[in-house]
Amino acid sequence: MVKPDLAVTLGPLALRNPVLAASGTFGYGLEFLPFLDLNELGGFVTKGLSPRPRLGNPPPRIVETPAGMLNTIGLQNVGVDTFIADKLPELRRFRTSVVANVFGETEAEFLEVCAKLDGALGVAAIELNVSCPNVEKGGMIFGNDPTALCRVTRACRDATSLPLIVKLSPNVTDIRETARAAADGGADVLSLVNTFVGMAIDVERRRPVLAKISGGLSGPAIRPLAVWMTWQVHRAVPLPLIGIGGIVDARDALEFVLAGASAVQVGTASFIHPDAPLRVLRGIEEYLERHGIATLRELVGAAESGIPA
Amino acid sequence: MPRDLTTPVLRNVELGHGNFLIEFDGRELGAGMQPAQFFMIGVPGSAALLRRPYSVCGLAGTFDDAPPHAVQVLYKVVGHGTALLAALGPGAPIDVLGPLGRGFSPPARPDARPVIVAGGIGCAPFPALLHWLERSAPWMYYGARTGEDLPLLDWFERHAERVVVTTDDGSRGLRGRVTEPLEELLAEEDPAGLEIYACGPEPMLRAVARIARTRGASCQLSLEAHMACGFGVCLGCVVPTHRPGGDGLVYDRVCVEGPVMQAERLAW
Repeated sequence: MVKPDLAVTLGPLALRNPVLAASGTFGYGLEFLPFLDLNELGGFVTKGLSPRPRLGNPPPRIVETPAGMLNTIGLQNVGVDTFIADKLPELRRFRTSVVANVFGETEAEFLEVCAKLDGALGVAAIELNVSCPNVEKGGMIFGNDPTALCRVTRACRDATSLPLIVKLSPNVTDIRETARAAADGGADVLSLVNTFVGMAIDVERRRPVLAKISGGLSGPAIRPLAVWMTWQVHRAVPLPLIGIGGIVDARDALEFVLAGASAVQVGTASFIHPDAPLRVLRGIEEYLERHGIATLRELVGAAESGIPA
Repeated sequence: MPRDLTTPVLRNVELGHGNFLIEFDGRELGAGMQPAQFFMIGVPGSAALLRRPYSVCGLAGTFDDAPPHAVQVLYKVVGHGTALLAALGPGAPIDVLGPLGRGFSPPARPDARPVIVAGGIGCAPFPALLHWLERSAPWMYYGARTGEDLPLLDWFERHAERVVVTTDDGSRGLRGRVTEPLEELLAEEDPAGLEIYACGPEPMLRAVARIARTRGASCQLSLEAHMACGFGVCLGCVVPTHRPGGDGLVYDRVCVEGPVMQAERLAW
């Protein structure tokens, strides 16, 4: 039979296949060269880039939890200028789509980073990080308030001609409200979800494990929560979605697709097996072949056919 | 160049008191590994999500009774991840990612005497280092809580020119901290003729770093940290270090800039 067509189109963003590596779990991509061929990835999302380098939070920053982990890195990054000057020229050698994750403490900082990336050769899209739970300013403050989210999205929309992805926070009462706000602000694509706020306590020391007390929970533990949010947003907002949350293998990824995602991001799994995104991709390809499905598009949201809205 | 491979356990020997030496087939890992480089090791299909970091303990030739393609890792059962490893027998597959990080360097002065300072299970990288530096007649200062927490002591006594043992409870060697005889040594010998290599609990490393700085001895520390990935992307394992050529501090990754760092670089 014919090989399935893996290419996907998310509004203005065309990807060679539906599997990306998620922000904060893939560095600037180059760290993975010993372990995989970047050309095989649909794309990857950079560590969050701020206008200037960020030191990040004091350690301890991570702790393993059942089927997951908490992190409070605090967006340690090289800053957008160093990314453009040092990392991007290296990345242009590869065919993979480089999505720049953008972070600012203020709306003006978001605009500054977006504007710089707009003129940089080799960036396929921007993902707005309005959902980081581990920074005091910016981050989730934008992501949890529909009015503020709509405004910062619109401002970034006007500052860049690149495809604009808004990464949603799950730490809200109803994710459909923030999804609609991002859509109203002019987002082309929504990615969901970022990490859930949580904490762990060392009972022997009787203190929080993490230096900043709380952190963001990721890994398979959050997958059912993230699939449900993807399902809800797919039925509420007519934008293409990228599903994120504890994806380890192709079956996990296909849950998000069947719930309504057109593509997926693999995150925490890349810490354990650096080639995890490619394992997911090969598994999706094998699934499509086995079921005689020509393109992944046929499966997007397919779990809801026959179920009344 | 690190590799990610699934490889069989060759032996998993209990050394007593919760200490184990696990040996696996390392022929696909290539040559040229440095002492104190490490592996991220996981047990396929286990309930633990993340792998754990373990420093290389023995390389080809370190242990006489081991085949040349074997790599050894010394560990103590302290939690979930190490308990999973301890349950494995010969032939069981393990996921091994490595070798990773920056290992120990030879002494800055080629004629310097290596002085090894180990705290308990922190002795793990030192068989490989001793094998590497055997001709430089290394001395070793090996401390632990009790005489039961001194794995591979017999091996060290055969391979180091001198071993000074300390225990907190006095059940073996001198009673007290390992840093006490180290301070005496540095008061007697010319510090410029010594190269200190230390690995152990953080309070011990801080004390060793302070002594080395006071006496002006070159000192390499092998650090330990919780890490999710081991190859520089999770940013979970950082330690504060002095900003190169400037004021203030930055966070360096134990997995990439370390695990071995010069003591004076750390902003403790």
